[in-house]
Amino acid sequence: MYRTLLGIVAAFVVALLVVGLTFSSAAEAPADYTFINGTEPKSLDPALITGQPEGRIADAIFEGLTRRNTKSLRPEPGVAESWEVSTDRRTWTFHLRANAVWTDGTPVTAHDFAWSWRRMQEPELGAEYAYLLHVVKLAEAFNLYKSNVTALVGPREEEKESLAEGVAKIREGWAKAASPETPGIEAGVWQAFLARHKAQEHLKGCPDRVVDEALSRTSGSLDAAALAAFEEAVRREATRRLAVHEEAVAHFGIDRGAFAKDDRTFVVELGAPTPYFLELTCFYPSYPAPRHVVRPVDTGDILKDEVRDWFLPKKIVSNGPFRLADWRVNHRIRMVRSESYWAKERVKLGVVDALPTENVTTALNLYLTGQADWLPSNYPPDLVKDLRKRPDYYANPGTVVYFYRFNCTKKPFSDKRVRQAVCLALDRATIVEHITGKGEPVAPSMVPPGIPGYEPPSSAIRTDLERAKQLLAEAGYPAGQGFPAVSILFNTQEGHKKIAEFIADRLRRDLGIPVEAKNQEWQAYQDNVRLLKYDMARAAWIADYPDPNTFLDMWITNGGNNQTGWSHAFYDRLIQHAVDPEAFAAGEPESLVASMKEQDKARALILAVKSARDDAARVEAAGRLRMHLFREAEAILVQDEFPIMPIYFYVVSGLVRPYVKEFYRKLVLPDGSTAEDLQDLHPFHDVWIDAEAKRAERFR
Amino acid sequence: MVETLVLLAFLGLIVSTLWWPRPVVRAVGAAFVGGLVFLAFRGPLGVLGAALPALGVAGLAAWGLPQRVLKRVCFMVLSLVLLVFVTTWLMYSVPGNPFASEKQANEQVRAALRAKYGVPESATEFFVLYMGRVLGEGTLGPSLKSQGRTVEELIFPAFPVSMSLGILALTIAVGLGLFLGVRAGLKPNSWSDSGSMAVAMVGISIPNFVIGALAILNFSLLLGWFPVAGWGGYQHLILPAITLALPYAAYIARLARGGTIEVMQQDFIRTARAKGLSERAVVLKHALKGAILPVVSFLGPATAGILTGSFVVETLFTIPGMGQWFVKGAINRDYSVVLGCALLYCALITMFNLLVDMAYALLDPRVREEL
Repeated sequence: MYRTLLGIVAAFVVALLVVGLTFSSAAEAPADYTFINGTEPKSLDPALITGQPEGRIADAIFEGLTRRNTKSLRPEPGVAESWEVSTDRRTWTFHLRANAVWTDGTPVTAHDFAWSWRRMQEPELGAEYAYLLHVVKLAEAFNLYKSNVTALVGPREEEKESLAEGVAKIREGWAKAASPETPGIEAGVWQAFLARHKAQEHLKGCPDRVVDEALSRTSGSLDAAALAAFEEAVRREATRRLAVHEEAVAHFGIDRGAFAKDDRTFVVELGAPTPYFLELTCFYPSYPAPRHVVRPVDTGDILKDEVRDWFLPKKIVSNGPFRLADWRVNHRIRMVRSESYWAKERVKLGVVDALPTENVTTALNLYLTGQADWLPSNYPPDLVKDLRKRPDYYANPGTVVYFYRFNCTKKPFSDKRVRQAVCLALDRATIVEHITGKGEPVAPSMVPPGIPGYEPPSSAIRTDLERAKQLLAEAGYPAGQGFPAVSILFNTQEGHKKIAEFIADRLRRDLGIPVEAKNQEWQAYQDNVRLLKYDMARAAWIADYPDPNTFLDMWITNGGNNQTGWSHAFYDRLIQHAVDPEAFAAGEPESLVASMKEQDKARALILAVKSARDDAARVEAAGRLRMHLFREAEAILVQDEFPIMPIYFYVVSGLVRPYVKEFYRKLVLPDGSTAEDLQDLHPFHDVWIDAEAKRAERFR
Repeated sequence: MVETLVLLAFLGLIVSTLWWPRPVVRAVGAAFVGGLVFLAFRGPLGVLGAALPALGVAGLAAWGLPQRVLKRVCFMVLSLVLLVFVTTWLMYSVPGNPFASEKQANEQVRAALRAKYGVPESATEFFVLYMGRVLGEGTLGPSLKSQGRTVEELIFPAFPVSMSLGILALTIAVGLGLFLGVRAGLKPNSWSDSGSMAVAMVGISIPNFVIGALAILNFSLLLGWFPVAGWGGYQHLILPAITLALPYAAYIARLARGGTIEVMQQDFIRTARAKGLSERAVVLKHALKGAILPVVSFLGPATAGILTGSFVVETLFTIPGMGQWFVKGAINRDYSVVLGCALLYCALITMFNLLVDMAYALLDPRVREEL
């Protein structure tokens, strides 16, 4: 028996030795600057990433045409040392610096940019953010038109029918039917048919009036002639798109759209003047990828040619202020100052660590014990009241809106009076004061404040219980009588739960309607929202770029992110015309203006566009007209229709040690004024650590 | 419907291994052993390089391994295939998919992603594709969420981490558990018994995350002895290992107590005492062997569980171990990660159960004869 015991003990000792050995090799020097990244990046391929944790790393190891200024976050020269823009603001010419090189010593050329931008639009790559660069000429055609054409006229895989075939089938069905009366398809059925075919998505931007009218038909019915005209228009549009797509394949990234004039000159042609275009050049989707590493051979088969792990430490070649030195999954990402960066002597940090800590308590512990210097937002929400008192706490309003969707296809929320009643009954102040507690502003509208050039419309959303009860009575539910049982759907998370339960409780108490909060796991929740299997559902929307379009174009009829079933033809047309306000002003704007709320203002803006003396003035006026179209559109959401209930705007907050220098809690603009850091971005390229202050710091 | 039939057929096949004639078991078992070796080595050595050791090992297995072990191998390999099938089927029947995102990607993007990662729309197709990939290419496939990495690139570096932690935790658990349990069992209903069992009860009923949080609060934040979290040195290992060990120690203590009480009433103990052995010798030489039998059978699955890591302990202490992948894989619907974890866990469980059976044979003469 002693032998057996001895054997067991010996086995454990050997095992422990093995443990010891794995550890002796793991010791490493601490980083100069450590921050909590919140989760593990899914990828570091600039064309494919979408989230903030990915963005922080990509911003450090890659660099676009421009980079963000540490103080103002405004674009400043990056790989491009200068640029000019044509008077019509449609052509941008970037001059690349001669000393921009990849970490392997290869120069960064305009060809790298042209290739990377083309790569991102390749349909087979499946880049989620490809649409951000659709402002570039031919980009959208290259990226989407092929699949549009397939959806419109085929040929499709399996037994799925194309839109044109579907329309033809309906007409054939009528032709065979015995009754000779002019058959018609009812608008509701028609819209369902369009939704099934994602017609809005595939016909987006179609200039054809016939298509426009058929898509926005939400009342009455369509007869055989209308259908035939629509089918023909769809086929026409498909032919046009196919031609443009072929043109794009031949030219985009080569000599049109975005292309290299020579090694150091990169030219971008925009479809329409885009006020935020320069911002895009310091946003990671526009960063260059090292062609010679990503796709060393080019046989034309993208899926096979791409080196799938080119962005992992052993293969990566990058061009930013830092290079990726080590990436241990669930442990940390280590970045080291790049010796090949063009401004390397201005980069002060030697080693930067990103920790993927997901547990908020652990993250805070790491920060409090001095093992992390910056903790962006990932702390336990319950502690916010105490943390707010700390001097190292900072908070900024963010361009994120927290709201509820109403299912507009189902009773009781198919009635807009009921939706408005719920919006009016909600006590937002209590939510931001007692539940979220970071000082969030309550949201009377969908678009968060602070977007340059945009002023949200006045809103009918406020707290007015009397009016709410009155509306509910008008809708046929006096004091909540006869109101069907409804639920608030939210994805499982403590914060969402508190808000949902609070709202459910208040609606029960104040309006007498039977509401319960119902949680579901993230994926199940997403499925049910998409399939409209809910009554009210929690949601949040983050701005991809600072522009109202990102919050408003999602509500067009059958839009992929609409998910409320709400449909409003006038709204759709406003959003559609905002794409090209100059064309709108030049066309027949009066048909639209007549239904607007602020008609005088609209007419004045249209006149300003038409009578502009030069290109610059016209572009400027068109920009303001565009904002007005958005304002009119948002007014429909928050004054008349209420397909959604905005609740509050996010505050982005965090903790940063005072010895971290060149870290701006508030932006300092070039004119010396301060502004809010809406995106919570804090580039590392100028950050340095005050070592003396750090030593003096007492942790714990 | 098809799925159910396949499932039943598979179950039938697995159960039928019990009645397979000896030569069949020997041949199939050896072939399976060889196949596993081949899969393990084809990555580093290539097809030909792996074929040689595989053939060699298969030959050795056919010649030298006991019938019982070979039967287990047959059972195990077939179970693994069944496991893949059932897991795939379950994953596909859960709402959501690996490419779901709050922002709706268009149809084309989703189709491109499905093609790129080899995730067809139907479960059966995926099963066929996956098995083809595992057997044909010898890879567990690309992770669908951690782009650019294969499942083995994610799991294999994490396994030694979980293993180091697990071995330490297991040592603590077995040492502490046996000590408390046997001591309690020797004097049932005494103060030391109630005391040990009270401690054990507490260990079982307090969840890991509470123990962990308390440990961090006391030993890291207040006393400052250990870092609050992280990985890289011995000091990072202590708190998580203790947190992980305590519930296991509690279970082991209770099992050891029961075992000891039962053994101490056996005839052979009375005989040992009658022949004049000291109480110490009676316990260590005769009783302990029998007393730890229940502990040994618990250790099979427990070791597999502890070595594959714990999600709670790993997230609490930010340890780059295996445990997170079980949960993250499922949450992200990262099908290949889920399957990779399930396969590894299942293989470990069957392996440790086999080891437990062999340990039984060592410890208990009655079992040895059955073999």
